[in-house]
Amino acid sequence: MTAFRRLDKGGRIDREKSVNFTYDGKSLGGFAGDTLASALLANGKTLTSRSFKYHRPRGIMSAGVEEPNGLFAINGNEPNIPATTVDLVEGLAAQSQNAWPSVDFDLMAVNSFAAPLFQTGFYYKTFMGPFKKSWMFYEPFIRRAAGIGKGSCEKDPDRYETAHEFCDVLVVGAGPAGLTTALVAGRSGARVVLVEQDLELGGQLLSETDRDFEMWRTTQVAELRSLANVTIRTRTTAQGLYDDNLVVLLQRHENHDAARGRPRQTLISLRSKAIIFATGAIERPLVFPNNDRPGVMLASALRTYLNRFAIVPLKRALIVTNNDTAYKTAFDLAEAGIAVTMADHRNVIPSDLLSRAAMLGMAMFPGTGIADVEGAKQVTRVQLAGNHSATIECDVLAMSGGWNPVVHLTSHSGIKPVYDDAIAAFVPGGYAKNHFGAGAVTGKFGFESVIKDGNAAGADAAKAAGFDKPATPVATIGAKDRAYKISPHWAPKTTGKGKAFVDFQSDVTVKDIRTAHDEGYVAVEHLKRYTTLGMGTDQGKTSNINAIGLMAELREMPISQAGTTTFRPPYTGLAVGAIAGRTVGLHFRPYRLSPLHDANKAHGATFIEAGLWMRAWYYAWAGSTPETAYIREMELVRNGVGIADISTLGKIDVQGPDAAEFLNRVYVNGFAKLPVGRARYGVMLSDDGVVLDDGTTTRIADIHYYTTTTTAQAGEVMSWFEYLLQTQWTDLKVHVTSLTDEWAGMAVSGPKSREALQLAFPDADVSNENLPYMGCLDVHLDGVRIRILRLSFSGELAYEVHVPAEYAGSLWEHVLKVAEPLGIRPYGLEALASLRIEKGHVAGLELDHRNTLDDLGLGKIAGKEKSYVGKELRFREALQAPDRWSLVGIELMEPDKKLRGGSILFSAGDEIKGHGRGYITSVTWSTELKKFIALGLYQGGLKHEGEDIICAFPLKNEQVKARIVSPHFIDREGARLNA
Amino acid sequence: MLDRRSALASAKPYTSSVLQIGEAHGFSLLQVAGLAKAISPITGKLPVKVGLAVTSEGRTLMRTGPNQFWIIGPEVDDIETKLPEIAIITPLSHSRTRIVIEGEPARNVLAKGVPLDFHHSAFKSGTFAMTGLHHTPVLVHCVGENRFEIYALRTFAVSVYEWLTDAALEFAR
Repeated sequence: MTAFRRLDKGGRIDREKSVNFTYDGKSLGGFAGDTLASALLANGKTLTSRSFKYHRPRGIMSAGVEEPNGLFAINGNEPNIPATTVDLVEGLAAQSQNAWPSVDFDLMAVNSFAAPLFQTGFYYKTFMGPFKKSWMFYEPFIRRAAGIGKGSCEKDPDRYETAHEFCDVLVVGAGPAGLTTALVAGRSGARVVLVEQDLELGGQLLSETDRDFEMWRTTQVAELRSLANVTIRTRTTAQGLYDDNLVVLLQRHENHDAARGRPRQTLISLRSKAIIFATGAIERPLVFPNNDRPGVMLASALRTYLNRFAIVPLKRALIVTNNDTAYKTAFDLAEAGIAVTMADHRNVIPSDLLSRAAMLGMAMFPGTGIADVEGAKQVTRVQLAGNHSATIECDVLAMSGGWNPVVHLTSHSGIKPVYDDAIAAFVPGGYAKNHFGAGAVTGKFGFESVIKDGNAAGADAAKAAGFDKPATPVATIGAKDRAYKISPHWAPKTTGKGKAFVDFQSDVTVKDIRTAHDEGYVAVEHLKRYTTLGMGTDQGKTSNINAIGLMAELREMPISQAGTTTFRPPYTGLAVGAIAGRTVGLHFRPYRLSPLHDANKAHGATFIEAGLWMRAWYYAWAGSTPETAYIREMELVRNGVGIADISTLGKIDVQGPDAAEFLNRVYVNGFAKLPVGRARYGVMLSDDGVVLDDGTTTRIADIHYYTTTTTAQAGEVMSWFEYLLQTQWTDLKVHVTSLTDEWAGMAVSGPKSREALQLAFPDADVSNENLPYMGCLDVHLDGVRIRILRLSFSGELAYEVHVPAEYAGSLWEHVLKVAEPLGIRPYGLEALASLRIEKGHVAGLELDHRNTLDDLGLGKIAGKEKSYVGKELRFREALQAPDRWSLVGIELMEPDKKLRGGSILFSAGDEIKGHGRGYITSVTWSTELKKFIALGLYQGGLKHEGEDIICAFPLKNEQVKARIVSPHFIDREGARLNA
Repeated sequence: MLDRRSALASAKPYTSSVLQIGEAHGFSLLQVAGLAKAISPITGKLPVKVGLAVTSEGRTLMRTGPNQFWIIGPEVDDIETKLPEIAIITPLSHSRTRIVIEGEPARNVLAKGVPLDFHHSAFKSGTFAMTGLHHTPVLVHCVGENRFEIYALRTFAVSVYEWLTDAALEFAR
């Protein structure tokens, strides 16, 4: 069965270029210039889909982005795409949705018989009982059954990009108003971007037959294309308007090819000095029983299919309207030889229309609407009611309920649309600064007046963007505008048995809205949520205003008082892929490589992600798994000498006459009197009194310091310093600069580390006397200045060797080579982090922005007399509570078991339940003690030293016995450090 | 013998007939904080506002803050020793990797990642911007009609370079 056919000639399609595509696996043909919708109609596919709730047969209803019915999965990976917005391209594969086994024979249509079940508020009413948590039980089942299209779980084969763009004047929409404003602004010299969601410029003009219109259109388009300062983006939708004139555009590319880097879509963040909304208007349907049958279509859409795509109803068309514009469709169809019957809700029809209709042999029924539409899978007969009762046989039923200006974008800026009685529709309620409206969006539908207004809006926008040179206005064609007359008709008083749809996509009927009204959901926003009206992928473009009109009628109040819904971005469906752009795979986030990365690789490092860093985890010489390798690496450091990449440490250059004072304020311990050439461990607090970070600072010269931070907090500490200097202590003369990228660092650690350094720097005196613990020495090798700091994270005799980053690789190789006789080898992050646990040094896992100095056993280092950031709040009652979770060491008491990080700690007599008395922060095998040890936070801390505890790990249902001990497992006297 | 090694030493070279993306290795970068009148006798006239770069005696001088400048010179440069003691000097030669992008599509490639106006009339030769690319801070310096030098943090250089070559893919010939 078919309702449509393609004419042998006419339209804008390119008949020289055939295009093959598939629909549910069947091969079909169309032409270049077709949309998927027009190609389906031309192939006689009147029934294309099934509705959301009732699985009713549906067909294409519109010719634009407002399409509620004709949604398809395209090329297997993107669901819910309106066929009216898909350009027909070779090889396109369209799959119907929401029907099984097919749209023609859909078993799910049994839902129609269960219609009473799917009444308004169905979910809320049905699935709330019988128990308190019933909804939680039902929800997964409902979610599975609901929805229209299904997303693919496959990787998206296409490529998406994001981009930024700037201009003086943005024009949204390229109908007569858009073309006019863009040209006027372009002539003024402004940088203009003209966006149009269609593949061609012209808007409604593309559906006209008048040669004067086409001449006008091609003339303006040609001039626009000739202007170097005008960028035209077709297939581009303005999806949202945001603050500061930011408009997000989605551009769909014609020739996309991921392999060649050609994106399928680009999401453009465009900032424009001025914006012109020339977004046009969308025709609205009429509401009558069975108005959703395939073959029922918007009148303007039918005209577009006729004039643009050369598609006509098989023989007969019935048109129902409440305004004059539908007559254009009627006349064009009649002239194309289609038998046209006209039902007009209005009793009085303008005489010129009547006489033209008579001339064309059209049957006219004034004061008449639709009582019912018959036809199981497409329209066959229509029952008229009103002044005339008649049954009309027809192939297609076209409807026009008036025009809704596309006020979405102007609403995004927070300006509510207002109801205009003259056109029975909402228009923008105003414009933000440097925003302008032109054309049908303002409620003006006549060509001449649109051009006149467009000329003014274009000039105003150019002026707002700083281009006040008057530009030549765009010429009109001298036609006479016809006044727009409409007699709104929101819904029939009774709908009989047939469902009269208001929202086609969400299957919301007049009855549903009446029910909502009866149950008190009368505010538009409540109505929407209760009935799901306007909540489909089409966001109610064809339904919202009819629903508001109907609700106003039910409430017996003017529409202006009934309110309007809030339009939110995006204007049309937006693929998540386009939002992500290239933020996928390798580029999901940036990654950071140490200056020693290549050297680490050459030495067999296995890498691990640590924040953004790729860090050397362990090295091949020590083993093939981290569990075994780190133990050999630890043993190397405890007994010989190892070298580790510590370039990731934050490094900050602090210089200026007040540098000492500055550091003295940010660190809890004193730095004012630190001698030149010496380093000091320091801890800093946030202003809330909680520990922010620790590290060392070395005094390089009188007013010059070199600060290191933990890897994790490097950025935060740098920002903190800048914040303090720029906002709090603007009187301090201090400059801070990040040196994290400038300097690489390597730790040379172990009892033989001094010997290793002596071999590496034969001209330097690295003796204990010249370079004591916490000393600093600048040495030179091959003319390169290298900074040696005698610091230890491992607890062994150790040094940090800092070198300008580009020399790091060769210095690393040099040290490994010359110290080879000592058995030096690299050790990785796992060993680095384990050695410090044995020593009891806190790190990122303990410095988690929740612990105080006292919690971490560091209270004693804070200066008593001096002031420092966080001092006052450090002594808050809660932060001084005696039972705070504080740092402890933990030793495993069951040798055949293991400790796990994150284990919950309980006292030996506790019931193993709840959050316990603390948890393990860091755990390692101790090569010195030959057992598992850990650091943790425990209620009351070291007051419980020596007590037995239980470490519970519920994820693996494990409980092991352990003991609270000092966190300093080795060398408490510091003999090794000072060796 | 210690040698200088680029962060991009093992990066995959990018080739296209319309676009060059590569590294301009071997420069010195000195950050100097102080008053222009104290510094300019040594460096030559300094730019009057942030975002402007000038060339003087083989060096590029940029104003990166109200009283802060970048001096970009040859790989070996002794200007540090000549600057007045009152200036706060921070050598940064190793901290940045200089990535050059040149060719007709260069502005379009950059516009994909940098939220700035790259139109010829807006981002002219001799100007620079301190901005972000691929979530990392960069300084983008326009040095010719379609030639830009990007100073990326060294440790992010490979990531930024890979991002750029990926963004350039669609323009490849």
